[in-house]
Amino acid sequence: MFRRLRNFDYQEAETVDEAVGILYSCGGKAAVLAGGVGLIGDMKRGSKSPEVVVSIKKISDLDYIAKNESDFLRIGALTSIRTAELSPIIRAGYPALFDAVSQIASVQVKTMSTLVGNLCVATPASDIAPPLAALGAQLIISGPGKTRYVPLEHFYLGVGKTVLEPGELVTEVLVPSVLPGTHSAFLKIARTRADIAKVNVAVTIRVVDGICQEARIVLGSVAPTVVRAKTAESLILSNRLESKVIEKAAQAAAQEVRPITDIRSTEEYRKQMVAVLVRRALEKCCKNSGEVNTV
Amino acid sequence: MKKELATFIVNGVSHDVVITSNMTLVELLRDELNLTGARESCGDGDCGCCTVLIDGKPTLACLTLAVTVKRKNILTIEGLAEGENLHPLQKSFVEHGALQCGYCTPGMILSAKFLLDENPNPKREEVKKGLGGNLCRCTGYNKIIKAVLSVGGGGK
Repeated sequence: MFRRLRNFDYQEAETVDEAVGILYSCGGKAAVLAGGVGLIGDMKRGSKSPEVVVSIKKISDLDYIAKNESDFLRIGALTSIRTAELSPIIRAGYPALFDAVSQIASVQVKTMSTLVGNLCVATPASDIAPPLAALGAQLIISGPGKTRYVPLEHFYLGVGKTVLEPGELVTEVLVPSVLPGTHSAFLKIARTRADIAKVNVAVTIRVVDGICQEARIVLGSVAPTVVRAKTAESLILSNRLESKVIEKAAQAAAQEVRPITDIRSTEEYRKQMVAVLVRRALEKCCKNSGEVNTV
Repeated sequence: MKKELATFIVNGVSHDVVITSNMTLVELLRDELNLTGARESCGDGDCGCCTVLIDGKPTLACLTLAVTVKRKNILTIEGLAEGENLHPLQKSFVEHGALQCGYCTPGMILSAKFLLDENPNPKREEVKKGLGGNLCRCTGYNKIIKAVLSVGGGGK
């Protein structure tokens, strides 16, 4: 794509308030620049043509991965995917998220891209949204005069569409503390490891005394947004995770999705792979929890 | 269209260039500074031909606005050799015949440099992952991987 970018006005914000102020005054004609991989690509393709590009790169204190006093994981808006990949906190405590960020894209893209930017691009094929949604993550959104918290699973409205209003900026991802007995897994099918997912699945379960007390099954690339497979979740909740139960849940998940056929895959294949990946992800969680997964 | 005079530090040399906000870094390097090692090939972040190091980190110059890297240290392939002395990676690429048309080579070498800066003795799998964002359509990758391993010592 040897396309020159169309003209736009470039502004740099040095604080969150300044960014919010500029974005609000532009009333939807501005785009936020963080890593730029998504935005500049979209602008070259012409799928986005903002009149103003607001860089938030200079805002200090948005590049962090930390735990707060309640053991919540906090990821700042300027934290790169590579920083997340190299983070001992994520590697040790959030295996599904670690698996997602370690296999996604190339070193260059990971170094440039921010985790929050990946979420805000709102592609249904995001590898990062499913594990975070399965962990119950929320986004902290700063806007003119107020800050709000939005669960990631309610952040998306459609392909490339989020609940963000003009003047709003995501400043942090907040992941609740991981309770004892929690296990998570992320699996993906793609042409090559770094390629865009045909289907991806993230699962978080909490097992107490052999009974599943909590379940979140989140699917990517099979609908206009990442989706929860709630019927499948209901089939494993309050149950022992035996093979029969897992298989029923996996089949239910495949029936819950409405994938499309495109250059990467077909509707039929995606549905079948949802069942396979959900089964494997649940089995992986069981294996990690030490639960016997009887045949 | 708004223009500004901006300072760029490329390969240790400071350049003052009049830029517009919509200029990408690869356009700045090639069209304004006549440094044609970084190439715009796919233009979309897939091929890695435009890879340069900014403050030591591998960056796709085709997806980077020039205005965002003012006064940062930009290293292109032209800045790697010291005078007539090639960088060990450059020597190794020549010795291993790790290039054919040479189009991808600047990006390959800069990605390899970043890899070795972080991990001086990578394993073969680590080299493959480290160079995963750089596509070569001529030689295949074996000679490139060998060239990097022999510099890192991981292949010995």
